[in-house]
Amino acid sequence: MSLKALVLTAALAAIGFSASAQAQSCGDDTLCKVKAAGVLKIGTKDDYVPWSYRAPDGGFKGMEVDIGTKIAETLGVKAEFVKVTSANRFEFLAQGQIDLMIASASDTAERRKVVSFVHPNYYSSGYTLLLPKAVTATEWSQLSGQTVCAVQGAWYNKPAQEELGLKVQAFAGTAETEAAMTQGRCIALLEDDNQINVRLSNPKWADYHKPLPSQADTPWGMAVRQSDHAAPFGLAIAGMIAEMHRDGSLLEMEKAHGIANSAFLIKMHEALKDHIN
Amino acid sequence: MNQSNLLAQILEWMPFVLQGFVLNILMSVLAIAIGTTVGTFLGFGQISPNILIGAPAKLATQLFRNAPWLVLLFYCIFLMPYQVNIGGVMIQLPSWLRATIGFSFPVAANFSEIVRGSVNSVPRGQWEAAEALGYSRRATLFRIILPQCVTRMVPPWMNLYALLLTATPLSMIVGVEEALGRTQAAVQAQSDSRVLIPMYLALLAMFFLYTWPINRLSLMLERRFRTK
Amino acid sequence: MITNIQTFFQDLASSGINLTIFYDAFDFDRFITGLGNTLLLILVSAFLSIVIGAGCAAILTLSNGFAAAIVRGYIALFRNTPLIVQMYFFYFAIGSIMPVGRNELGLPQPLISSFSWAVLSLSLYSGAFNTETFRAGIGAVHNSYEEAALALGYGKRQAFFSVTAPLALRFSFASLANNLVDLTKATTVAYAVGVAELLYVSNQIWSDSLNTIEMMNVMLVIYLVLTGAVVFIINRVEAAMRLPGFGLGDGQ
Repeated sequence: MSLKALVLTAALAAIGFSASAQAQSCGDDTLCKVKAAGVLKIGTKDDYVPWSYRAPDGGFKGMEVDIGTKIAETLGVKAEFVKVTSANRFEFLAQGQIDLMIASASDTAERRKVVSFVHPNYYSSGYTLLLPKAVTATEWSQLSGQTVCAVQGAWYNKPAQEELGLKVQAFAGTAETEAAMTQGRCIALLEDDNQINVRLSNPKWADYHKPLPSQADTPWGMAVRQSDHAAPFGLAIAGMIAEMHRDGSLLEMEKAHGIANSAFLIKMHEALKDHIN
Repeated sequence: MNQSNLLAQILEWMPFVLQGFVLNILMSVLAIAIGTTVGTFLGFGQISPNILIGAPAKLATQLFRNAPWLVLLFYCIFLMPYQVNIGGVMIQLPSWLRATIGFSFPVAANFSEIVRGSVNSVPRGQWEAAEALGYSRRATLFRIILPQCVTRMVPPWMNLYALLLTATPLSMIVGVEEALGRTQAAVQAQSDSRVLIPMYLALLAMFFLYTWPINRLSLMLERRFRTK
Repeated sequence: MITNIQTFFQDLASSGINLTIFYDAFDFDRFITGLGNTLLLILVSAFLSIVIGAGCAAILTLSNGFAAAIVRGYIALFRNTPLIVQMYFFYFAIGSIMPVGRNELGLPQPLISSFSWAVLSLSLYSGAFNTETFRAGIGAVHNSYEEAALALGYGKRQAFFSVTAPLALRFSFASLANNLVDLTKATTVAYAVGVAELLYVSNQIWSDSLNTIEMMNVMLVIYLVLTGAVVFIINRVEAAMRLPGFGLGDGQ
């Protein structure tokens, strides 16, 4: 019995009675609340190498983690990363469990009904297939009816099935999709083209290639609650993203994580960079 | 050379996964505590002759016994708010706590059935004898029937705990950072398919080493308390 | 008629309850596929788990040697570890070391489909619980029946199969119903290995249309109906097989 009581107490302590007084005087202003708490809760994935993944000590690593850390630093608070999955990421944001979401979410009209995306968009990718070199198709139509592996919750799973006629076998994470493809359960991986580029730069994938044209290049967006879109918080984030495009930080971060500089980032940097310096 | 690298790599990730396992255990302990308490009341409700209490209790029990645990989890994660304001104090309800509450519902329903079953297994004669001696229904229940039931309830209760513990990895689907979710993340981060088998074996071993002694204990207690 | 249903649900969507499965042909198709796969999973796994359970219970009762030891090990392993981890292990770990065939294109083709792995995993998991159930049923049959059979000249095995087993089966129905209800609910776990069952397709639908709550409600209703159906069927089978003069064993 006493062990149970001990555990119960520990659990309650872990829940945390947060500093209520200061936070309550902020009302709905997320920026004020974040500064009062000294912590920016950022939702991110933990299985998307190299954008967002885990270190053995339990911390998060990756390009998106670096972006989030930089944003928190600029705001003068600590960044706290919370793992989200495609099943719960929008709910966590709406409920207040996270204040900002940097989780490789594509900015689509459907999702804008539930959350707000901050502009400018911080990244972009289309989708395509990672195929074994033995498969020499050059057109999507040649692969109609074939089975491909993908991650559950990706927005392009439905168009790939509906428009391109592919059979999509979806799994919880990218490790599972790789394992499934090696077992021959599908002939290709349906993924972001940038992620496929990262794979192809690894000798492990020397027998694979990416012959098909990328589809539906769609920008990624950082998500905030709809009430924050035009509020100081959303606008502050927007400004920071614009600055990171401008001074080339995003390009540097991309390179630092072994990703070849993507067309979108180059384009945004050119568009936003200083006309004098 | 390669093998020892692999082992070293896996061992590096073990503390990360074990921390997740502690969360599984914590969730199971809390859920069994809450579920047992609520289940006791539900069980009494079920055996009550008053239909106003009996019918809802039976309905609740059947509902939560037959709903898939994963669906109940989803409800609790999505429908419960993240922060509640109790008397001016903001209490945060992290995912694992909401998942724990989600697990408490089927545990309560199952325990209510255990209570009902064990009360019904006490011979009718005892109720009649108590009535003849002038005991009220309530006194009979608490003073005569229940003390006999407690020992009968322990083995199925331990069984229920084992079932609950092996169900806790389901919470990974709603984003709780427990052992299975962490194993997946660890496998991802290493980007090496050779670690799949060892890491999942390690996970199976963790659960087995914790649950098997509980089951053995339950069997032993069942034999000790068996009334012929 | 169909278009009327579709327009009704489209109107409902604009008022907040978005049930795309009723008005979107693509979603409807994949939902029905999911439902079909779930039903198939339940039926095949239930059958196999009963066979496994009965067989293992017989082994445990009739012999005490190597076979019984293996069965005990199997039960210990499968009852003390989570189903989802078992399924992951079967599909990803064991599946990765199985030999692969080649199809016409020269591409690898797995010998065992994800559905088959899911059925295997579910059957073994539920089979372990069924073994305990049938063993308890066998234990509930009073010794006198076996003794009488032996006195009449039946061999030990004969006595078991002709006298004890049929009675044990009748005593096991309540617990078996429990196990099969658990199995019905457990089929949701197959979603983790890519089997297109109900939870998998619901997840895909709500990822696309962001109608999580509605889909969860639909799933809850369907599973309640399924478990109700399982209990109903078991009760009917039990009633049909009832032997006059036998109650619930010694307990009552």
